[in-house]
Parts: sequence; structure tokens; C-alpha cells
Amino acid sequence: MAARQEAVYPVGWKNGRVAGWLVTVDHKRIGILYIGTSLAWFVAGGILALLMRSQLATPNENFLTKNSYNEVVTMHGTTMIFLVVVPILAGFANFLVPLMIGAKDMAFPRLNALSYWLFLLGGIVLWLSWFSKGGAAHAGWWSYPTLSENFPWASPGHGQDYWILSIHILTLSSLLGAINFLVTIHNMRAPGMTWMRMPLFVWAIETYAILLLVALPALSAAVTLLLLDRTVGTHFFIPSQGGNIVLYQHMFWFFGHPEVYIMVLPVFGMISEIIPVFSRKPIFGYKAVAFSTIAIAFLSVLVWAHHMFTTGLGVGLDSFFMISSMVIAVPTGIKIFNWLATTWRGNLIFDTPMLFALGFIALFTLGGLSGIFLAAFPVDWQLNDSYYVVAHFHYVLFGGSAFGFFGGLYYWWPKMFGRLLDERLGKWHFWLMFVGFNMTFLPQHMLGLLGMVRRIYTYHHGGLWEVYNLISSVGSGVMAFSILIFLINVWQTQVARKGVRAGNDPWLADTLEWYTTSPPPPENFDSVPYVTSARPLRDLRRRLADEAT
Amino acid sequence: MRRKLPSFVLVLLVALATAGVAAAGNGGFAPIAPHSPNASRITDAYWVVFGFAAFVAVLVESILVAFIIKYRSRGRSRAVEGAQVHGHTRLELIWTVFPVLILAVIAAVVFYELPAIDREPSAATNPIHITVEGHQYYWQFDYPNGARSIGTLHVPAGAVVDLKVVSSDVIHSWWIAALGGKIQAIPGRTNHTWFQANQAGVYHGQCAELCGVFHASMLAGVQAQSLQAYHAYISKTAPATIGQQEWSGVCATCHGNLGQGGYGPAISNNTIITQPAALAGILREGVTGTAGAMPPVGNTWTDGQIAALVRYLKKNIYKPASLGATSGG
Repeated sequence: MAARQEAVYPVGWKNGRVAGWLVTVDHKRIGILYIGTSLAWFVAGGILALLMRSQLATPNENFLTKNSYNEVVTMHGTTMIFLVVVPILAGFANFLVPLMIGAKDMAFPRLNALSYWLFLLGGIVLWLSWFSKGGAAHAGWWSYPTLSENFPWASPGHGQDYWILSIHILTLSSLLGAINFLVTIHNMRAPGMTWMRMPLFVWAIETYAILLLVALPALSAAVTLLLLDRTVGTHFFIPSQGGNIVLYQHMFWFFGHPEVYIMVLPVFGMISEIIPVFSRKPIFGYKAVAFSTIAIAFLSVLVWAHHMFTTGLGVGLDSFFMISSMVIAVPTGIKIFNWLATTWRGNLIFDTPMLFALGFIALFTLGGLSGIFLAAFPVDWQLNDSYYVVAHFHYVLFGGSAFGFFGGLYYWWPKMFGRLLDERLGKWHFWLMFVGFNMTFLPQHMLGLLGMVRRIYTYHHGGLWEVYNLISSVGSGVMAFSILIFLINVWQTQVARKGVRAGNDPWLADTLEWYTTSPPPPENFDSVPYVTSARPLRDLRRRLADEAT
Repeated sequence: MRRKLPSFVLVLLVALATAGVAAAGNGGFAPIAPHSPNASRITDAYWVVFGFAAFVAVLVESILVAFIIKYRSRGRSRAVEGAQVHGHTRLELIWTVFPVLILAVIAAVVFYELPAIDREPSAATNPIHITVEGHQYYWQFDYPNGARSIGTLHVPAGAVVDLKVVSSDVIHSWWIAALGGKIQAIPGRTNHTWFQANQAGVYHGQCAELCGVFHASMLAGVQAQSLQAYHAYISKTAPATIGQQEWSGVCATCHGNLGQGGYGPAISNNTIITQPAALAGILREGVTGTAGAMPPVGNTWTDGQIAALVRYLKKNIYKPASLGATSGG
């Protein structure tokens, strides 16, 4: 063993402070790189959101030009989805899956590093497109043709081409990651860890990876056809020459709706880890939560055309997609009720991770319920493409995913870095974000009902339009301030080193990642206890207590 | 601090709920007042869904807040475990079946309302057929007698109006909230929708699908009026004012109300706007310039329409260079 180590690490430069991160194939470092990079883009995408909210704060505002507004709207959406939510979850998965299943690393460490560096490259390509001829892409994050085609009056210049290139790089990154997660989860679980003893977060990553494999090729195909149209003169999506635009819509949303669940299933997993630990209880229905994850994943590939109710597919197809979309509410409801039941008769401890998890339940429920309006297709004919939809998906993606991953950050931060984030600042962060979020997005439901359509750079109405928009813009500032508090917290904890040192298991948690040191050593564990339940660490604590008495 | 948190959540939720209810009568959660049978039926369906959604929202959030208050730690140590209970088949069944029932009722209501939303009233033997064409960045309407108008659709109040919705450049989306739902105008495809304005008045809307730089300016109006006024409009007013409508609804968006320039270049002193043949080429083919591109805004315009535009421009907009320098802007 010693001889082999010598051969693999013959020189010291790879252990340097910077080089160590550049050449790392350690899943923990890759996970942290993913999370750090995603957070940087979260700030960048958030600044774009603040620009939009400033432009929309009052009627007839001239803060942004109409050209740049369309670029900002496109880049905000693309950044938040492809560079923030999906990769930050990949980061958590990278850091946590091997630790949670008691493995030394991912199945393919080098492939894992490639996934990360492709993600970084894809993001850089996307953001460099601001400087390309014609500016960044400006056809919206779904880039419907013919607006995204290379016509002088549609999307000339190279912004759209960079967007496509970036999507290609990012899908490749995600596909490699997905394969890696699946192989790792299937083959490297600790002795005794059967499927029914696996942490629910790992269940979520299993389904997340499967969904990525199913959904991403449709997106790659769609943007490839678009690229061919733009560069070599095909006309897949140019109707005047026999192309079909609706085909693009189908391909895009066949990816686009599973993508929604790709962005929220791992967060469900995190919530299913956090709620029991801070309720001092087991999850209420382990199997119900695990199987509802699979049910959601399966159903999510059958609902895509609910994004296309105004395309004119006919009431037959619309009816099918209404029913399939409504059916998804059932497994989602099962999860919410199971989380609620988990807090029942618990010893609820309101540390910051728990606050974010409870906030997640409160907000995601509202986002799910507003989705039922959109599934009922005649109602969607009114609400589609209005600010109601903007409000709905921010309740799901920000109130849901972002609250969830912030909870995850507070929860696993001590494991990642060995120090606890400050609780007082954490609570300020939560409450300001909670209030700011509702201020920003609750009034947007009303704006949609008043007739405000999405992606407009300005409006002329005063009255309630102005009131709601102003409240929304002020709220976005409150949210931005809460993120600032988070960054200050990170600074104080890590850079100023004021954070309290965490032991192996500061929360008295249930799963194997808390068995090793904080932060864990390069290969995670010297040995792993034989797993006899879904809560191996609690079993261990009880055994130790029994031995002591 | 820990003790105060749950009550703060409660206060916040109550405040939010009260604000919502207070605002419900005026804007709030109420959709725009419907003025067409299909829009009314959609609003009915909306309130049914709202009722169930509000019920579930209140139920879940109340349980959440109640549990937060009731089972809060009260200073107990983290080492104290809650009741180690889990799993209850009957409960799991209840919260599976109960949402299924709610969703079934919602779906049933949708299917009950659907025929009257989707199809024109069968009593309407003679709907008025109008073609709606989405363009960067205006709506153009073709009436049964061949007349055209831009921006505002004129219809008789009370008549069933059947719309054929098309586009020849990018995807647009037709939406007048008071008169029913959206339908996309998709190049290469013909979509249909309809409405029946139940009283005279002007109903406003705008393009709902991102269609380019001036997406926000692509407004639409429907003027419902008496049958007599409608006939007068399509037989006399529309043909007489089409030149002016083209200018203010199409050209002025980019070139300014006086042709002084804006997003597009100043054209008030450009002689091309007085030459029908040259202007037709630009309108139908668009322009790919160094400073930007002009979409082929007039690719479905007739020679007569272009002649009318030129007449209007000559009379109202065109100012030869020597004069234009002072009064153009």
C-alpha cells in the first residue's frame, strides 16, 4: 500500500494550496468547487434579477434599454437554472453521496473532475457571450425559434450560438455526472446498506441522475438542430421552408419539465434529511417518501406539454396533459404530509437549517398549489406567460430549491469545513430572505391576474400595477440584503475563523457522513460500521450509550 | 429568541392572509372581470380551483404552524428524542386519496366548463370571421369585407367573433384577458379562438410571448361597438385611415411619432418614404443595416395599403431636408 502511494503521488506540487484544488479528484473538493462556483453565479444571476426589478419598479422606467432587458431576462433564467440550481445540487451530491453510503470516493474520480471543469467552462462560455457580436442571447431561456434563428430581425450575431455551445458543454457535464452518481450508488454502498436503508437524499440523487439521462438528450438534440439552422442553412424550425416550430417546443419541454424535478428532487432529499434530525425523530414514512420520489420522476416525463397549452394542440392532448400534471400533485402531497407528520410529537430545534427546511415546506406548498391552476388548461389559457407563472415557478424554484439548498448549506457546512456557520446571522438571513421572498413574488401573482405578461421591459399602467411592482422590487432588495448577510456569515466563519469548531456530529444526526471527522480526511473513513437501519449513526450512539451503562 | 420565532411566523402568515383577502376585491386574487362567455367560464373554473387551493394552503400552513408551536423544543436538550413513531398506513392512505378526490373534482369542473370555453355557442349561426396576424410589433386584423385595421380590432358588441390567429415572423401570443384566454400566433400554423363581447367598450391586452425588442410595445385592443358603428368602421373608416394606422401602429414604434428617429433612424426627410416602389421593397423584405435590422413589417401588405401609407407620409410626415432640420425633431 505504501509503495503504491509513492507511485501515484511522486511530487509535492499537487498538494499546493491552489494546485491542490486544480488537480483534485477528491469528491469532497469537487463538490465544494461545484457549490462555490454555483454560489458565485447565484450572485451574478441575482444581480441580473435586481437590474430587472429596478427597471420594473415604476412604469415607463429607463434604467435598462429594451435590448439589454431581453438579454438580462435570458441570461438570468439560463444562469439560475443551468449554472446555479442544477450544479449546486450536483455539488451537494458529489460531497454527500460517497460519505452517506460509506464509500471512499465516487466510482470515477477523474470523470468527476471532468464534469466540474466542463461545468465551469460552460458557464464561462455563457457569460463571455455578453461580449460577442450582437451581445448575449436574447430569445428567453427556452430560445423558441424563430426568434432564436439567425435572421437579421430575430437573433443575429453570436450570442445565441454561444448559448447553444454553453448548453452543449453543460449537458455533457451533467450526463457524465449522472452516470457517475448511478454507478457509485449502485456499487459502492457500505456493507448492510440495502436500498431501504439508504439515506433519502441518496434516493433523490438516484432519481435525479436517471432523470438527467432521460431528459438532457432531448435538449441537446433540440439545440443541435437550432445550431444547424443558424449556421449551415438547414430549416428544421423555419416554417416558410417546411420546418416546424412546434417540434422545438415539444423537444424543449420534454427536457424542460423533467428539469423542474431535476432541480427540486435533490432538495426534497435534503429536506427529508434535515426535518427528522431537527425533530429528533425518524422520517414518518421512509418508503412513502422514497417511492413518491420515483413516482414523481416517472410522471415528470409525461407532463411536458402543459407548458404548451396555448400552442393550440387541441383539447384532447390538453386534457391528457392536464390529468398527468395533476397526478404529480399526489406524490408531492405525500411528501409534504410526511414531513409534517415527522415534526409531530418531535423535539423541534429551530437551528438555521431547520428554519430553512420549514420555510421550504411553507413556500413550496404554495408553489405547488398555484401549479394546479396552471394544470387546469382553460385557466392556464388566462394565466400562461403572465406574471402569475413567474410567481409560481419562483415559489417552486426559489421558495423551494433555493430555500432548500441554503438549509443544506447551513446543515452540512460544518462537515465541509469543520466550523459551524453563525446561528445569529443565519437566523437574520432566513427571516430577511423569507420576508423579502414573499414581498417579491406574492404580488406577482396579482400582477399576472391584472394582465401583466412576462418578459416585458416596461409597462404604462399606474395604480395597482405600480403598487405591486414597487413592492416586488423592494422585496428583491430585501432578499439581496439577506444574501449579503449570508456572505458576511461565510466570511466571519471561515476567513476570519470565528466559526465554532464542529465535532464529527454537531447535530446528533442519523447518517454516515457524520461518522467521520469534520472535514473528512481524503478517503473519508478508516472503516464503516455495518449498517443495520436507515439511521446508522443513531444506532451507533445508542450502542455506545448501552455499553456505558 | 427561540420562543418568539413561532409566534412571529403566525403573525406573518396571518398578515399575509389578511392582506390577500383585503386585496381580493380589487385586483388581489381576482382575475380581470370577464366580458365574454368563455372568459366567464374560465373565471368560474378559476374560483373553483382557488377554493380548493386556498383550503389546502390554509390546512397545510396551519398544521405546520401549529406543530411548530406545539412541539417546539422549549429548551430541551438536543439529546432528548421526540416520540420515535413512524409509519401509519391509514394516514398515508388518507393523504393519498384525499388529494386524488380534490383533483378529480377540479378535473370534472374543467371538463364541465370546457365545451362552453372551447367552442363557440351553437346558437351563433353566423359568427364574424376575422384573421388576426401577429407581426413584429403589431397586430393586424382582416375583416370579412377585405378591410384591414392595425392595433385595434373593431367588432359588434354581442356578436360571436371567430378568430384565425397566424404569424409570419416569430411566435406571438394573442391575449385580451376580459375576452378569454391566450392562443399563440405561430409561423406555419393556424390557430383558432373566439369571443363574444357582452357590452360595448374597449378591452385591452398585449402580446404575451417574447417576440423581440419591442415585445412590450405590442399592445392590442378590441373595440366593441354597435353593429351600425361596426359596419361604418369596416366599410368607411378603416379603409380611409389605414395609412395613418400603419404609420402610428407600425412605423412610429421605431422611427418616432414624427419620423424623427428613435430606435430606428430618422426618416422624416428621407425621400424613399415618398416612393411607393422603393418603400414597398423595404417594407416587404426588411433591411439589414449596419446599425441594426428592420423586420419585414409589411410582408403581407397590399399595394393599396402601401399607397395609402405613402399618401399619409407625404401629407403628414415627410419634410424635405432643408425644412426638416428645424422642425423634424
